[in-house]
Amino acid sequence: MSVQPEPIIRLEGVTKRFGSKVAVSDVTIDVPRGRCLGWLGPNGSGKTTLIRCMLGLARPSSGTIEVRGHRIPGEADVALRRVGGIVEEPRFYPYLSGRGNLEVWAGFLRGDARSRIDPALARVGLAANADRKVKAYSMGMRQRLGVARTLLSDPELLILDEPSNGLDPSGMASFREMIRSFVEEDGRTVFISSHLLDEVEKIADDIAIVHEGKLVLHGSVAELVADGRQGIRLRVDDGDRAEGVVGGLPFVTGVERRGAGELAVAVERPDDAASIALTRALVEAGVGVAELTRERETLEERFLQITGGATADEVRP
Amino acid sequence: MIRATLRTITARRGSFRGGALVVLVAVLLVIGVLVVVHELRPGRNPSVGGQPMLDGVGGAVWALGTVVAILIGALAGSYDVAQGTMRYLVLTGVGRLRIYLARTVAVVGAVLLALVPALALGLIAVFVLPSTDADKVTAGEVLDVAWTSVLFPLVFALIAMGIGTLLRSNGPAIAVSLLFVFAGAPLLALIEAANETIGDLMLLQALDRLTGGETSLPIAVAGLAAVAWVTLFWALGGARLARDEY
Repeated sequence: MSVQPEPIIRLEGVTKRFGSKVAVSDVTIDVPRGRCLGWLGPNGSGKTTLIRCMLGLARPSSGTIEVRGHRIPGEADVALRRVGGIVEEPRFYPYLSGRGNLEVWAGFLRGDARSRIDPALARVGLAANADRKVKAYSMGMRQRLGVARTLLSDPELLILDEPSNGLDPSGMASFREMIRSFVEEDGRTVFISSHLLDEVEKIADDIAIVHEGKLVLHGSVAELVADGRQGIRLRVDDGDRAEGVVGGLPFVTGVERRGAGELAVAVERPDDAASIALTRALVEAGVGVAELTRERETLEERFLQITGGATADEVRP
Repeated sequence: MIRATLRTITARRGSFRGGALVVLVAVLLVIGVLVVVHELRPGRNPSVGGQPMLDGVGGAVWALGTVVAILIGALAGSYDVAQGTMRYLVLTGVGRLRIYLARTVAVVGAVLLALVPALALGLIAVFVLPSTDADKVTAGEVLDVAWTSVLFPLVFALIAMGIGTLLRSNGPAIAVSLLFVFAGAPLLALIEAANETIGDLMLLQALDRLTGGETSLPIAVAGLAAVAWVTLFWALGGARLARDEY
């Protein structure tokens, strides 16, 4: 019988209240080692609050948090010893250089943190700018310096809160590669929160969706994508008649009108047989079929469906 | 950790480097003025070094040093929270109390680093520059001035650090700390008028006793009173730092 390795993060019934407002509500989740978990949710959904609790920056109102097998906040000193984090945005001493800042943080860390400064700067592509003052850094450079700081403790676990904020498209691509290399080459675990679904889908092995403080969906990216609603989109010359014909077919589970001549048809299995049967039924009923396309619900559509259409543009309460 | 914290304080151009420079320039001005008045009217101002220099240097370092120390202490207390770096210090896994203790030691170190060069220069001038026999000073007198010049700034730096940690915002931390010092004297007069014994236990009076002032308060009690005042503000700041969420 195989023994499951202990999860690197274990949350059980974690709730965080601010007065009467519940920011995080009864979240229970295990995060396995050596994987990248995308923590998704619209702004104000409690993502950052939970991260702050996990990192000992805030105390949960109830529930238990274990990181690397140690309770937070009670054993935070041991638990955080090999954890790196960025919360909201990386902050530094602007009057010190990038290297100077890392030297300051290395002074607070145990072990060989100082010897990791140069490799960390090289890893995030800041070696050439290491001696410039941080106040002259762009937002993207600060984000990368923030990641370099997380590497000083040789972390088993990286907890990154919206780390790709401020990065341009090419910066995001290289950032994505870097995060994957932490998981695949170094064997680290990455817990990354974001509202950028597309980005997370490309980076993460697993995804958890949080909405209004509650964990509403959790699974591997492959599972979640496969579980998405599937269907066939039709463009026809007579939408009303087509709706009637298609709605009567036994393998059709739903029909949605998207315009005068457009229909989204939900079917049990959107395979060739379903497409042929649909076309045949419509043609036999005298409906002209201009286009037939198979559709699979994207993760973004599932996210929007779950969160009631909440987007990243929502203003935090 | 202490060295790292000290670096974050001493690398600030405005509060630390500027402050240290102001004190140094003040001492140079004292030296310059005494040299000029001696040259202009040597009969009336026969000594450049000795007692006049000791009084001038001691006064300059004491007064300006206290203000500079308050800036250093208040910013050391408030900066990390105001700048957002505090959460990353907590993330290192180092206990909050240890972070606060390191900050305390670093503030003491930073104040000494800011004041000692100017004080040392001034004290060298006391002995090197010419003075009459009547103006010669003893080692004890020099030590008294050095003690006074350092004690006041250190005490107010630690109190300002507590206030800064409590208020978590740079501007208010500096303003309240300065107010505490400058409003202290008139408040003390009021308290002394009401009750002399309580007045003796106020911070300024206790510090005065510890630096050679003549009050009825035993020196040990004055020492305890000063420690109690510093501890009060230090502990208030520490309690907030330990309790806060970042």
